[in-house]
Amino acid sequence: MGKTSEMEYEWWFASVKPLSDKKKRLLRETFGNGKDIYKKLYNIEEKHFHKIRGLTDKDIQVLQKSARTVEIGRAYEEALVRGIRFVPYFVEEYPRRLRKYQGMPYALYVKGKLPEEDRPTAAIVGARKCTPYGEELAILFAEQLALAGVQIISGMANGIDGAAQRAAIAAGGMSFGVLGCGIDVCYPRENRGLYTDLQQHGGVLSEQTVGTPPLREYFPARNRIISGLADVVLVMEAGERSGSLITADLALEQGKDIYALPGPVTSVLSRGCHELIRQGAGILISPEILLEDMELDGDFINNLHDENKKVLESNENMVYASIGLFPKSLSGLLAETKLPAAELMRTLVSLEIKGYIRELSKNYYIRT
Amino acid sequence: MSFSRIMSAALRGMEVIPVQVEADVSNGLPIFHMVGYLSAEVKEAGERVRTAVHNSGFTLPAKRTVINLSPGNVRKRGTSYDLPIALSILIAIGELDGIRLQNCMAVGELGLDGNIRGVHGILPIAARAKEEGVACLIVPAANEPEARLVEGLRILGIDSLQDLCYKLKTGTGMIGTIQKKRESKEEQVMESSVDFADIKGQQAVKRAAEVAVAGHHNLLMLGPPGGGKSMIAKRIPTILPSMTWEESIQITKAYSIAGMLSQEHPLVTVRPFREVHQTATRTSLLGGGAWPRPGELTLASGGVLFLDELAEFPKPVLEMLRQPLEERIVRITRSQGTYFFPADIMLVAAMNPCPCGYYPDYNKCICSTGQIRHYQGKISQPFLGRMDICVEVPKVRYEDLSGDGPEETSAAIRYRVERARKRQMERCRDGNVKYNAQLSGKEMEEHCRLGKQEDQMMRQAFDRLSLNARTYHKVLKVARTIADLDGEEQIGMEHLQEALIYRSIDKKYWGNL
Repeated sequence: MGKTSEMEYEWWFASVKPLSDKKKRLLRETFGNGKDIYKKLYNIEEKHFHKIRGLTDKDIQVLQKSARTVEIGRAYEEALVRGIRFVPYFVEEYPRRLRKYQGMPYALYVKGKLPEEDRPTAAIVGARKCTPYGEELAILFAEQLALAGVQIISGMANGIDGAAQRAAIAAGGMSFGVLGCGIDVCYPRENRGLYTDLQQHGGVLSEQTVGTPPLREYFPARNRIISGLADVVLVMEAGERSGSLITADLALEQGKDIYALPGPVTSVLSRGCHELIRQGAGILISPEILLEDMELDGDFINNLHDENKKVLESNENMVYASIGLFPKSLSGLLAETKLPAAELMRTLVSLEIKGYIRELSKNYYIRT
Repeated sequence: MSFSRIMSAALRGMEVIPVQVEADVSNGLPIFHMVGYLSAEVKEAGERVRTAVHNSGFTLPAKRTVINLSPGNVRKRGTSYDLPIALSILIAIGELDGIRLQNCMAVGELGLDGNIRGVHGILPIAARAKEEGVACLIVPAANEPEARLVEGLRILGIDSLQDLCYKLKTGTGMIGTIQKKRESKEEQVMESSVDFADIKGQQAVKRAAEVAVAGHHNLLMLGPPGGGKSMIAKRIPTILPSMTWEESIQITKAYSIAGMLSQEHPLVTVRPFREVHQTATRTSLLGGGAWPRPGELTLASGGVLFLDELAEFPKPVLEMLRQPLEERIVRITRSQGTYFFPADIMLVAAMNPCPCGYYPDYNKCICSTGQIRHYQGKISQPFLGRMDICVEVPKVRYEDLSGDGPEETSAAIRYRVERARKRQMERCRDGNVKYNAQLSGKEMEEHCRLGKQEDQMMRQAFDRLSLNARTYHKVLKVARTIADLDGEEQIGMEHLQEALIYRSIDKKYWGNL
């Protein structure tokens, strides 16, 4: 016992479940450190606890049980070996951005780094099920922001989140993933590659204790960390009941700037964004304008508005013009271009081979 | 004479094995004994035969009677040995003239009154009988039209044992008559209540169906509900090309073994179209059972096997189709040996791109990415790779539905298909392969040679569209068919481009959300 460090007691205290963060803070402020809490529990000095307002008998039972059954130190050492860092709210390292708000996590578990305090950050969030349009623009904004030195925060989910984070890393920037499960659990599994890349070029962090499975109820809560860590929040594509809207609401409460990407008004997946814009969110028109708002200089290689300088023959040009970031079907293109079927097929294959378009689903085409 | 021998035949999968039925009637205790690796129903033949013989007006002497069916290592099943057993006994006891039945083959089931009933598998037996050079094939009258599909074989159809005895006693010389060579087979155009003209719009899909049929290529249709995938599939039989005599016979053989022929018109003259429901088991599709019987793949051989709602089929069942789709043969391995069944099918399949059916229409599709991935994951990439032609069946537009422009009839499409098939047959006159989908690597080198420009495009396409060896060859074969439809000897750019549009789905991009 003698060798057990202070931090090991803190780790134990942070991991006691189910005790709210608020009560943990209260206890720690009352007793000063985790070790004292442990000692008092271990020696059955309950009277100290009963005096604390807001702490129920049940809470005390939970704490006592935990203190008597959990082996102090072991989990902490294991975590250190696995490269997991423990950042409770009272250490220097705890992000300054989070200190400003109420209800922020008692402790963070981190693999890799935490966002740099003096560098601007932006959260890019959006639907897991997104259109190629949303994905493409998430990539564009992430790339440009990363090039301008902005750190990209997101939730490492499928769709917009993952696309933006990958793009930021590919552009040589830093990105941080806030998980809704334990730090050692990669969810969704398909994003294993991103999970490891993030640890190299940024970090992953979570408020959940190590090994917590990805349960539905944890995900809305982690959104407050995403918005809390970000200086601005960009919503790329969100349906009417998207989780990204929760992030936007939380960001609003935290007083952050919110930007939403407009889409076609007919697109169901842009409804949430349009609603945000209607309520006064900033509108994402181009990375330049966004960076100007953020008072940053960008290095622009913008291909958003390039009026295809590509040398195409006239039919190819017409077909290419009809294809956008929303998938168009072969039959739709037949009706639109009024080209004979054989000619349209010829043109599509030729555009595909040249790499201007790609087949998303059978006979559905989008721009690359 | 106390010993006699007559020929019969055993079915082993699609294979026919000649069987010798021997009878020996000698002095000793009056017992009736049958040997020769017999199944239960063949053992029962003893009772039927003795009663039938008795009821036909013969008396069996109280002697020791032994029946042997050889070869002894082939399991004898079914009721078709009744007639040869009865005949061998009658010869052995001297009631029938053995000389006139010398080198004859007989099959048929006996009723207790001596009547002879039809059995399965007559056509393959008759074909084998001809190969064996038998003097005469004695078959139940009910099966006579089927047996007569084999030309140049002496055949006798009989109703009952008395009938046969009467014919043997009254006539002289050889029994039965020889089936003469047919001048031409009766052309039977399938009358159908459906027609491609019923489908408004969907030009691209109709064209894809035409190409698929012309080259015997597998076809996968993808699209939202209500696009008409099943409607199109059900009209494919109306454009299937006519069959050659040999093809007809091959298909009829499988149906004969499965016992699915009509007595009056035993020849299958229209290509089979078999629709299989998702509850189909492996055995029902591939064939099998303790004594392997042909499955749906074999019954659809030479024609179309249609799998609607492909993603709803159990994955193991679909994966089982991979090998037969490639080799065009089903192998069923049992401890007694391997059985082969033909499976030269054109697979037509239809499915939705996601559970709700509307992906990639983001405004309509209500499925989550996980659901879409899971749904599409039900079809493996190797299976997709075997689909030569993939095509989207879009939702029908109102303009098409209400438009009263005449749509092309099945007859018109069929005319072009026939022409393209004829070109293929002329090209492969000496080889066995007939249709483009069946071309081997070597034949492709000969018939699918590309010009310089075409070769360059395919080289680019191979990298850009991430084709693999299998899909590359499929594209070439489909392009060959499109060129055949156009009446071109050389595959051109436009043929390759159309074939590339039809190329199978690449999972890497499919559902990459």
